[in-house]
Amino acid sequence: MNAFRPGRHLALAALALWSVLPLAVLVLVSASGGWRFPSLLGAEPGPASWLHLWRSGDRLLGALGMSVALALSTGAVAAVCGLLLGRALSGLRGWARAVGAGSAFLPVAAPPLALGVGLQYTFLLWGMGGTFHGVLLAHLIPALGYTALFFLGVFAAFDGEIEEEARRLGAGRAQTLLRITFPLLRRPLAEAFLLGFLVSWAQVPLTLLVGQGRVRTLTVEVLAWIEAGQDPLAAAGALSLALPPLFLVAVVALAVRRAEVVTP
Amino acid sequence: MTGVGGFGLPGRAASDRRDEREAPPVVASDSGVPPALEVQELEVPFGGEAGLKGISFRVEAGERFALVGASGVGKTSLLRAVAGSGPLAGGRILVEGREVTGLPQEGRGTVLLAQRPLLFPHLSVFENVAFPLRVRGVGREEVSRRVEEALALVRLEGFGPRRPQSLSGGQAHRVALTRAVVARPPVLLLDEPLTSLDPSLRDEVRRSILAVHAEYRPALVLVTHDLEEAGRMADQVGVLLDGSLAQVASPRTLFRQPASVAVARFLGLPNELPGRLGPDGSLVLAGWRVEEASLTKDGDGEPSSGVRAAGPGDPADREVTVVFGADAGRVLPAGAGGLPAQVLEVRHHPEGAVAQVALVPAATAAAAEGLRPRTGAAVAPEGPSPWRVAAVAGRVPPALPLACQVAADPHSPPEAGQEVDVAFIRSRMHLFDA
Amino acid sequence: MAGALAAALLAAPVLVGVGYATLGALGLVGPGSREGEASLSRFAGVLGDPAVWEGTVWTLWVAGASTLLATLGAALVAVRFRGKGWVARAGRGLAFLPLPVPHLAAGVGAVLVLGQSGLLARMAYHLGWIHVPADMPALVFDPAGIGFILALTWKELPFLALVAVSVLETRGTALEETALGLGASRVSTLFRITWPVLWRGMLPAAVAVFTFVAGSYEAAVLLAPSHPLALPLLTWERYTDVGLARRGDAYVLALLGLAVAVLAVMVHEWLRARHDGGASP
Repeated sequence: MNAFRPGRHLALAALALWSVLPLAVLVLVSASGGWRFPSLLGAEPGPASWLHLWRSGDRLLGALGMSVALALSTGAVAAVCGLLLGRALSGLRGWARAVGAGSAFLPVAAPPLALGVGLQYTFLLWGMGGTFHGVLLAHLIPALGYTALFFLGVFAAFDGEIEEEARRLGAGRAQTLLRITFPLLRRPLAEAFLLGFLVSWAQVPLTLLVGQGRVRTLTVEVLAWIEAGQDPLAAAGALSLALPPLFLVAVVALAVRRAEVVTP
Repeated sequence: MTGVGGFGLPGRAASDRRDEREAPPVVASDSGVPPALEVQELEVPFGGEAGLKGISFRVEAGERFALVGASGVGKTSLLRAVAGSGPLAGGRILVEGREVTGLPQEGRGTVLLAQRPLLFPHLSVFENVAFPLRVRGVGREEVSRRVEEALALVRLEGFGPRRPQSLSGGQAHRVALTRAVVARPPVLLLDEPLTSLDPSLRDEVRRSILAVHAEYRPALVLVTHDLEEAGRMADQVGVLLDGSLAQVASPRTLFRQPASVAVARFLGLPNELPGRLGPDGSLVLAGWRVEEASLTKDGDGEPSSGVRAAGPGDPADREVTVVFGADAGRVLPAGAGGLPAQVLEVRHHPEGAVAQVALVPAATAAAAEGLRPRTGAAVAPEGPSPWRVAAVAGRVPPALPLACQVAADPHSPPEAGQEVDVAFIRSRMHLFDA
Repeated sequence: MAGALAAALLAAPVLVGVGYATLGALGLVGPGSREGEASLSRFAGVLGDPAVWEGTVWTLWVAGASTLLATLGAALVAVRFRGKGWVARAGRGLAFLPLPVPHLAAGVGAVLVLGQSGLLARMAYHLGWIHVPADMPALVFDPAGIGFILALTWKELPFLALVAVSVLETRGTALEETALGLGASRVSTLFRITWPVLWRGMLPAAVAVFTFVAGSYEAAVLLAPSHPLALPLLTWERYTDVGLARRGDAYVLALLGLAVAVLAVMVHEWLRARHDGGASP
């Protein structure tokens, strides 16, 4: 299976091109002073657009901070609660299980825009319009769906006997969770955290509808830049949006791998 | 791990159950037709260790060969190496005279049936069984005919349109079996076919295997850790021990004449004692010379009366290890003319009773009797014997080199601590050079 | 018990949203509503609007095409890049790369590559195939939605590839071994066993992806044409309309989106039950 197969290497190259090209173009264009047709590389390569984007007041920095705070919170809450929800759902059998899985899938399948339209009034009613926690709660609606579904799958393959054994040895419910379940599921927890993070980071309609324009995430700011600005600014904005999640995924992946090497 | 009939109680030779055989046993062919399967000097690596070495055997078409061994000895790895789905470090494999070593598994003519039936979930039962025929380009009409035939053979007529998910465990096994043979492969390899099944399912699947084999006549190689299963289903049995084939023989020969102490141990024979073999064939155990005994066929004859203390004037003997099952010895009342012994423990089974006894060495008995050789008459040693003292004190001495298990009368079993005589049936004991 | 609570907690927001949107669609609440006067006029208005149907059909077309392409691509990746060699792991890594990239960023990338003055256009210019940007066929903002479809495929392929790899690992390999052992060639096994098992295992995930794409605002906002207007964009347009009456229409459209979601959930569960093949307890 590891013999030299030119077809496979070709396929790899094609895949590399497919996956990397859009990102490479973003880098290319964002690093140019202007990207006029028909030049391929653009004029005046340099960090001009980046500087322009990030120096234009504190708006973008503030938005970055807001996005990070929201996404980290969503990730953390969605991971932990997703585990508990998924575990609860995995105890269901037969048609109840189908209903349970369907319930978790509902906030995932529902278009966030439609959700936002339907829920905006409720959020306003509870005084959460335009607040951080309001938007956080809004982001959690789909995020919890994703992580609950994810953990439903994890627990389907998980051997519940281990938790049972801890209970038989005298551990209470909370103790079992803290000492046995969570540590065993470190890797899925990390993956769920990433999942929640990404859902929140990339979110637009819910942020706009519940945030009421007062909660400005990086995504929302960049959208404005993209619609209004020129190519290099748009590219820089898009990259600003894409790099933090990519970075986070890399960091978490490395940390998980290192943890697995240390504790076999 | 079951030995023959548990503790080797008399009357239960597993290989005597011929009622389940539906095909006549195969005579090894010297006619120049190559055997369906021949393996030569196979070396199979596994578990990062050396694994199996020097494995050679041959199986004729229509013959059934069982490979037995303890769990973990490498039986499955061997089977997979023969099938081509596992690594092979050396040796040759020939199918119908054609060398297939190194060929991918689809070109070998061998079919391996895994322990758990893996039916294709997206195909019906009919399509599952038809699969090997379809990939060989067999025509539609013939496929239909052969699949229906095969299903009928394992009593699954009409199951064609059903989905694999709707089958019971036994049914799934049978479908997997028919799928494996429908294309008439010359060699069929079964990995522990009955191990994971409930006893109630075993009969069903065993019957199907034998029916399928009788009809299609492949060379059947089945791997198991169950000696009894091997005895029931195979013409030849190969014993895998310590990385090599310790013995290949028919079940009858294997159970009656194990080739080595290790094989005898594997067969579950519980007794292993040092002894000496005289040139006249007489056996010296614990200092007592045991002469040939004659018993009637069902083991209820008179015990041997030829027991006497071996003296210095006896001809030179060979050192041997004596291995035997509980059916090679019989507890008799003290003084009845056997070896003196003391009962340590009696265990009861549905088929009878087994007594754990400690043989009294001749030297000890003589010392107790004052150097008088024993012939026939009962002798009760004067004074307390060391074993009796131990039994009274509630402790059994830790080192009992002369303890063994022998059959006892279940209707009037001896008691622990009781002094008895033990009659040995020489022909049921296996002697190996020490 | 805990399971029922969990299910209720997860479904509640959506149900509340559906409830409110229904009330809004009936004209009972929200902008342009009249207290106590339920009417179906909004329904009739929206559902009778050809723009709505064109938008819906267009959205479904785009979602379907991109999901299909992503599924095929993911299956190819999973089959081609199996095992432990460096090529396999590199392939899988590359396939998963777009996963964390937000749709918005992917959209910009798509415009810069596929746009009429994008990278491909410039390469075509240098090859002498075109002279001005307008010569380049419109791949973004076009009625056929080609650029949109490609961008969505780019974004959705990694997730489906994850699923495909998982299906192959858990079910595919053992079945393939069995097929090979029964005498099938590698090619035969691929077509008769691997592919059927793979696409059946991917089906629930494909439905999930289809649903997600159909409702996605972030991708549409950058790449979709203004006519026909994709459903999410249409909904946004109406909801932020100056006229209160049109705002109310958004509720009907939101309900439409939510109805598609409910339908998708039912189809998804049905598919999972059908094709789990004994894998679920």
